[in-house]
Amino acid sequence: MATTDALTLFLQSLPKRSYYEILRVPRTAKAREVKSAFHGFSLLYHPDRHVGASDEVVRLAAEIYKRGVEAYACLSRPPLRERYDRALEDGKLRLDASAVAEDLPAPPPPMRTLETIATTPRGKQHALKADRLIAIGKLDDARVQLVSACQCEPYNGELAERLQALYEALALEPL
Amino acid sequence: MALAVGIDLGTTNTVIAAVRNGVAATIPGPQGRRLIPSIVSFLPSGARLVGPAGTERRLMDPANTIYSVKRLIGRAWESPEVQQARPKLPFELREGPKGGTVIAARGETFSLPEISAFILGHAKAVAEAHVGEPVGRAVITVPANFNDLQRAATKTAGRIAGLEVLRILNEPTAAALAYGPQDKAHERIAVYDLGGGTFDVTLLDLAGNVFEVLATAGDTALGGDDVDLIVAERMADDLLAKHRFDARAEPTAFGKLRILAEHVKRELSTQEEHVVSVDDIVPGLGGTRVAWQFRMTRSDLEWAALTLIERTFKVCGHALEAAGCEPAELDRIILVGGATRMPMVARKVEQFFGRAPVVRINPDEVVALGAAIQAALLDKTKQRAGMVEHPRIAEESVVEPLPATDEARPPSEPPPGLPVVSKKDPRPPSPRPPPVAQVVARAPFLSPRPTKPLVFEIPETRAVLPRTTQLGAAVARGGAPSQRPAPPPLPSGPPRRSPPSGPPPLLSFEAPPALAPSAPRPAPLLIDVTPLSLGVETVGGFCDRLIDANTPVPCDRTRTFTTASSGQTTVTVRVAQGESKRFEENTFLGEVELSGLTPAPRGETKIAVTFVIDPDGILDVKARDDSTGREQTARLQLVGAQTSPAEVEEMRARHAAHPIGESAGVLPARRPIAGEA
Repeated sequence: MATTDALTLFLQSLPKRSYYEILRVPRTAKAREVKSAFHGFSLLYHPDRHVGASDEVVRLAAEIYKRGVEAYACLSRPPLRERYDRALEDGKLRLDASAVAEDLPAPPPPMRTLETIATTPRGKQHALKADRLIAIGKLDDARVQLVSACQCEPYNGELAERLQALYEALALEPL
Repeated sequence: MALAVGIDLGTTNTVIAAVRNGVAATIPGPQGRRLIPSIVSFLPSGARLVGPAGTERRLMDPANTIYSVKRLIGRAWESPEVQQARPKLPFELREGPKGGTVIAARGETFSLPEISAFILGHAKAVAEAHVGEPVGRAVITVPANFNDLQRAATKTAGRIAGLEVLRILNEPTAAALAYGPQDKAHERIAVYDLGGGTFDVTLLDLAGNVFEVLATAGDTALGGDDVDLIVAERMADDLLAKHRFDARAEPTAFGKLRILAEHVKRELSTQEEHVVSVDDIVPGLGGTRVAWQFRMTRSDLEWAALTLIERTFKVCGHALEAAGCEPAELDRIILVGGATRMPMVARKVEQFFGRAPVVRINPDEVVALGAAIQAALLDKTKQRAGMVEHPRIAEESVVEPLPATDEARPPSEPPPGLPVVSKKDPRPPSPRPPPVAQVVARAPFLSPRPTKPLVFEIPETRAVLPRTTQLGAAVARGGAPSQRPAPPPLPSGPPRRSPPSGPPPLLSFEAPPALAPSAPRPAPLLIDVTPLSLGVETVGGFCDRLIDANTPVPCDRTRTFTTASSGQTTVTVRVAQGESKRFEENTFLGEVELSGLTPAPRGETKIAVTFVIDPDGILDVKARDDSTGREQTARLQLVGAQTSPAEVEEMRARHAAHPIGESAGVLPARRPIAGEA
């Protein structure tokens, strides 16, 4: 079971390797070299290359291959690679889970504070409290304040929309 | 040992192929047909007819004859695709369990995978009858743009039909595999796949024996059927104008028009103008029927289909953008799918990419052939990976770039059940194998170039055979068939293998004559990608992307979720596929429920959820409680997909017990056995 041992060892070493080390390319590698390194990596570890081997070998190869895909998906996309290089400077070997594509949906524009949306003095008071509660994550308490604000300003559509959004957020299991 | 096959489960036709003795070949039915119509018809007895026998019943019994299931499979009842298709289809769709869609016929309901399984089961039986050995495992192809639910449903269909599904493979990728690498060390190709119901474009990098998919894009509701529909609409307009007869109000009449439209479309691929005379559509006085004539020219058709074809290039643009390359950077464009036979498609493709496309392998069969090659590669009983040669393509599936003369491509057979008199075709309609198979089979005999080698496998050594791209160019630039282009110049160079003497064995699996010994080409490796981004819902209805479109598979991504309130014991995560930033606009796949958490203050329980996309492009979810380190049960509740093994087993038993209808020798191999289960 030499193959199994070798694959197990390699798999165990992966968490200590950077993406460059997984694909075995220098930090300065050009896109073309990364691609050809990934092809070489695939020929070694793609599960389809282990058809007929024991289930354990196939499983290990698949685990290793998925890490290679993660490395390749990052290094082959220039903006992600740039971000990874910076993370690597800080000693991080894996790009954090939230890093996806270059055209990552822009985070929703910073919302106007509820206080600015509210127009009446009483409404503003409740809205300000709601703003502060949202900032510390107490959504349910914020909801109470926002309901009060809406009662002060029944005509304020934008405020009502924000309340609706808050309800939706509460209905969700927070992530 | 059971044979491993490749099956192209198409919207309109299904093709089955296998690799034997190093040659990939499609398997013909008893009548020599290589295309099995993807149609299932239920007889009054409840028995089913599949394939050619079902086709004839499409007009006789539209309510119990099911077609185009591929457009619906894996779609939730509520989805716009199902709701839009419902009023247009002559058979009945109903809401099934778990929000799925089922089809009702002859008092029974069938899930969509069950209908597909009937087609797969028929293909399997055809292959078993022809090859004489059991068929147990299969690679089944799907459009590249199919989402998780559609893939999972197709896989279920395979299992119901009693097949071990080795892989769900993307159609364009399969086609690329069938074409194989060129003599260049590195090249970039595009596969333009316009089928009956779907359009896909896939860009690949070929380096040595590695096929890396760079990007894929598609439109699951764009295909040759839509062209038929446009032509049928024209016909309906014509009927209304000439005879004050509204065919749209009568489903049967419109059904006839659609079949007639397909015939006209095919004819116009070789002729400049086509006239059909029909006398059984418009009712006349006293129960008589009024004769009606419809004339269409190729330019009429091209104008009508222009917007549809233009839509494909928008999709091509997306794929190019995703791959980050320009049209001019592509070394080869491969045409796949029956609808690419329309001359305008080749012309437009050439305009868009600035390069003439290649059609070397029959565009109807190429996907099944590629699937067969992949099946051979994944067949662990046969070979160890890395020791396999890249199979060749059987000569009967190799087309020289479509011959453009009228003689070389006989007019297609008029659709059954319609007394069609074609002015251009004085011969009476006679029972023949379908036109496609015939073109392929006949071309060598009718070819004015008898010395041309029939075996067209990819050269092992460089510069022995001419580049096929050039051949493709010669014909694509040949322009209108009426002007009868000069035969492409014979390849010059050293005398090569002469063709086998005598007519080539049409239906045989035998390898072509022994070739000069050469180093075996190493087995190819496909690196395919997931076509759609995978995301989870976040606060405010946004979609948080976990895995990008065009990431190689298999791949995974782990994300940590936490509890929102103290003492919470379950967390639910909603998952969708698609490119929109709004969760609602993507295809909802289902919910992952993490249950049985240890009650703890809010935010303290951390569950690491791993989303895995397997080589089939199907999602799997695993979860681990980070605080306790134990595996957590993660249940992915899919929409409308009944995929629990017990359910599959139940449907498989039902499938096996379902009677096959008597059908005039279409499938002599198997008769229903009483009590079989």
